[in-house]
Amino acid sequence: MRVADLLNFAWQVLRGSRSRTLLILLAMGIGVAAVVMVTALGEGARLYVANQFGSLGTNLIIVLPGRSETAGAMPGILVGKTARDLTLDDALALKRSHAIRRFAPLIIGAGDVKAGARSRETPVLGSTAELMDIRHMEMARGRFLPEGDPRHSQPVCVIGAKVANELFGPRPALGEWVRVGDRRFRVIGIMAAQGESIGFNTDEIVIVPLAAAQALFNTESLFRVLVEAKSRERIAEAKADVEEIIRLRHEGERDVTVITQDAVLATFDRILRALTLAVAGIAAISLAVAGILIMNVMLIAVTQRRREIGLLKALGATGQQIRLAFFTEAMLLALSGAAAGLAVGELGRSIIAQVYPAIPFQAPWWALVAAPATAVITAVLFTVAPARRAAMLDPVQALSRR
Amino acid sequence: MRYADFVSFTYASLRAHRLRTVLTSLGIAVGIAAVILLTSIGEGLHQFVIAEFTQFGTNIIGVSPGRIQTHGASLGAVNTVRPLTVDDALALRRAPYVQLTDPVVQGNAEIVYSGKSRRVTLYGVGPDFARALKMRVASGEFLPQDDPRSARAFVVLGSKVARELFGSVNPLSSRIRASGERYRVIGVMQAKGQVLGFDLDDTVYIPVGRALEMFNRDSLMEIHVIYEPTAPLAEVEQGIKRILIARHGAEDFTVTPQQKMLEVFGTVLDAITFAVAAIGGISLVVGGVGILTILTIAVAERTSEIGLLRAIGATRQRILLLFLGEAALLAAIGGVAGLLLGWGIALALRVALPALPVHTPWSYAVLAELVALAVGLAAGVLPARRAARLDPLEALRSE
Repeated sequence: MRVADLLNFAWQVLRGSRSRTLLILLAMGIGVAAVVMVTALGEGARLYVANQFGSLGTNLIIVLPGRSETAGAMPGILVGKTARDLTLDDALALKRSHAIRRFAPLIIGAGDVKAGARSRETPVLGSTAELMDIRHMEMARGRFLPEGDPRHSQPVCVIGAKVANELFGPRPALGEWVRVGDRRFRVIGIMAAQGESIGFNTDEIVIVPLAAAQALFNTESLFRVLVEAKSRERIAEAKADVEEIIRLRHEGERDVTVITQDAVLATFDRILRALTLAVAGIAAISLAVAGILIMNVMLIAVTQRRREIGLLKALGATGQQIRLAFFTEAMLLALSGAAAGLAVGELGRSIIAQVYPAIPFQAPWWALVAAPATAVITAVLFTVAPARRAAMLDPVQALSRR
Repeated sequence: MRYADFVSFTYASLRAHRLRTVLTSLGIAVGIAAVILLTSIGEGLHQFVIAEFTQFGTNIIGVSPGRIQTHGASLGAVNTVRPLTVDDALALRRAPYVQLTDPVVQGNAEIVYSGKSRRVTLYGVGPDFARALKMRVASGEFLPQDDPRSARAFVVLGSKVARELFGSVNPLSSRIRASGERYRVIGVMQAKGQVLGFDLDDTVYIPVGRALEMFNRDSLMEIHVIYEPTAPLAEVEQGIKRILIARHGAEDFTVTPQQKMLEVFGTVLDAITFAVAAIGGISLVVGGVGILTILTIAVAERTSEIGLLRAIGATRQRILLLFLGEAALLAAIGGVAGLLLGWGIALALRVALPALPVHTPWSYAVLAELVALAVGLAAGVLPARRAARLDPLEALRSE
C-alpha cells in the first residue's frame, strides 16, 4: 500500500462516519486548547513579573540590614531592626568599589502629608538623587531631588501623581509647601504616573532627601541600599565588594544580607514555571481522556468493519498493513484535533489578551509543541489495542460471519 | 414499562458491550478522579494554613502603626511618624473584653555564648507573650512580670538557639551576649517548628523596652491584643480604636483581627482550589464528549431495536428516557470509579508524602458524583432525542 493510498483509505473512513469524527476532534481539540490557554496564562504571569522586576532597575543589588542563619521563605521580605544599623556612611563607603556604578540609600516609612486643610497618609521615601536613575523613574513636571551631600538636606520633596492630585486637585502643585510629619517641604517635582509595580505604587509616595527622612523618623538606620553594578558581568564582583566593604566597617561581622535582582527574579521564575507546568499537566489529563475515547471508537470500528478487514486480508494485505491503516487514521484524527485545538486556544488567548492588555499572555513554544505531540502520542498509544485486534482477525472467519 | 424492567433493560444494553462500557466510564472516572484529587489537595492546604494560624489562638487582634498596607503588612512597622508605644499597649488593657496585651518589636541580632555566635531573629516582647500566643516553655520560665519600661536583662531562648549554642549543657542561668549587651537565660521555649516558612525556634525573646533601646527606636511593630473568646468582635475593635484615638488624636494605626485574616486566606485558597479543580474538570467535559460519541454510535447500531420497541407501543418519551438512563448510568459508574480512584491516590499521597496535606471532604465526593451524573445526562440528550425521533417504520426497515 502506498502512502497516498493509506491516507486516502483513512480519509474515506473518517468521512464515512462524519459525526463520530467530529466528536473525536472536539474531544482532542478541547484538550489541546485547554493546555495552550492554561500555559499562556502561566507564561503571561511569568513574563509580567519579569517585566515588573526589570522596570525596578537593571543590574540591581539590594543590601538590607540583618542576617539570619536559617533564611525565611523569601529573600527581601525581611522586616526588622538590627542593633548595628546599616548607616549612610556604610552606603557612602560603597563608592570604593570599582564594580559599582551608583547607589541609592533608602529609608521608608509611613507619614501623613498635609497641604492646606487636606491631609493623607502615604509612604514616605527618603533617598538621594541617584534613585531616579537606578529605578528608571520619570518625572511629569519639575525635577527630582537635587544632587549634593546626602548628609545635608534641603526642604524639598517630590510627590507622586496621585498624591499631587488628591492634595492640590487641579491647582499647580509645583512650588507649593506640604507638611510631612512636623516638617515642611517645597514640592519641586511631580512623578509621572506609573501605576503599581510589585505591590508598590509610585503614584502614591512622597520622596524627600535622605537626611530629612532620618530626622523625620528619628532613625539613622537605612531600610535598604540599592546598588547598581557597572554591567551584568560585574554583578557578582559588585556583590562580593559590597559584602567585604560592609564587613570591614562592621568590625569583621557579617550582619547584612545582600541579594541580587537576578536571584530574586530566578526564584520567582522557578516558582511560576513549576506552577505553569503543573497546571498544564492537569489540563493534559483531558488529552488522556480523549485518547480513551479514540480507543473506544476504534474498537467499535473494528467490530463494525470486520468484513472490510477480512476482504483486505483476503486480497493479500498483511497484518502490518492493517495496523498501519488504523494508526494512520488515529494520527489524522489527532493531528486535525490538535490543529483545531491550537486555533481555538490561540483565539481564547487573544480574547484574554484583549481584556487584560497589561499582561503579555503568550503560550510558550514548548507548550505549542508538547500539546500536539501529547495528542498524537496518546492517540497512537490508545490505538495499539484496536489495531492489534484488527490485524489478528482471521480473514475466513471475518468474511464468513455476518 | 415497569421501573424494574427499565433498570434491567438499561443494564442489559450496557452489559452487552462490556469493554465499551468500561472504556466510556473510564473517561468520566479519570475526570472525576482528577477533580477529587485536586480539591483534596486544595482543601488539605486550606486546613493546613488555618491550623498554622490558629495554633496561636483565634481571639487575637493585631494593632500596627500606620494605616497604609503593602504586601499585607503595615509600612508603619518599618518607620513611622506616629509611633505606637509601650504605653499604648498598657493603655489597651483597659479596653472592654481585653484579657491581655502584648507589645512586640522584632529584629535581627547576634547572640554570643563562650566563643560561639549565631545570628537569630530577636523579639522584644512583654511578659504575656507566651500566654498570648499559646507558646510553652520547655524549661525555666518566661520573662517575669516586670514593668515593661524598665525590665531586668533576662532572655528566653528558642529551642534551636539553645541547641546550637549550648549543645547538651543546660543553658539556664548562664549569661549570653545579644548585640553586645549581657542577658541572663531564664528559659528555653518548646520546639514549635516552621510556621509559613518562618523558623520560630531560631529566635530569642527579651523584654520589649530593652529591645527598643537596642534598636534605637520609639515605635513598636505590633501590639497583640487578646480578648475574651466569646466577646463580640466589633465591640472589641471599637474599644481598641476609641482608646488609641483618644491617645493619638487621630486614627493612625491599623487594627487587624486574626479572624478577618483567616477569612481572607480562606477566600483566596478557595478561589485557587476552584480554579485548579475547574482545569481538572476539562477532562470531565472530554469524558462527556466520549459518552456523547458512544451513544451516537449506539443509536445508529440499535436502530432496528428502537423501531421494534416503538412498534410494540413504547412512546417517544420512553425511548428518550431509556437512552438518558443509559447515559446517566455510564456516568454514574464512572463517577463512583473515579471517586474511589481519586480517594485512593489521595490516601497513597498521604502515606507517601506526609508533608503534603491532603483532605477529602465528603461533600466534595457527593458533589463530584452529582456533577458526573449531570455531565452524563447532558451528553445523553442529543443521542436520546435522535433515538426518540426515529420513525418506527423506517427504523424497522433499516435492518
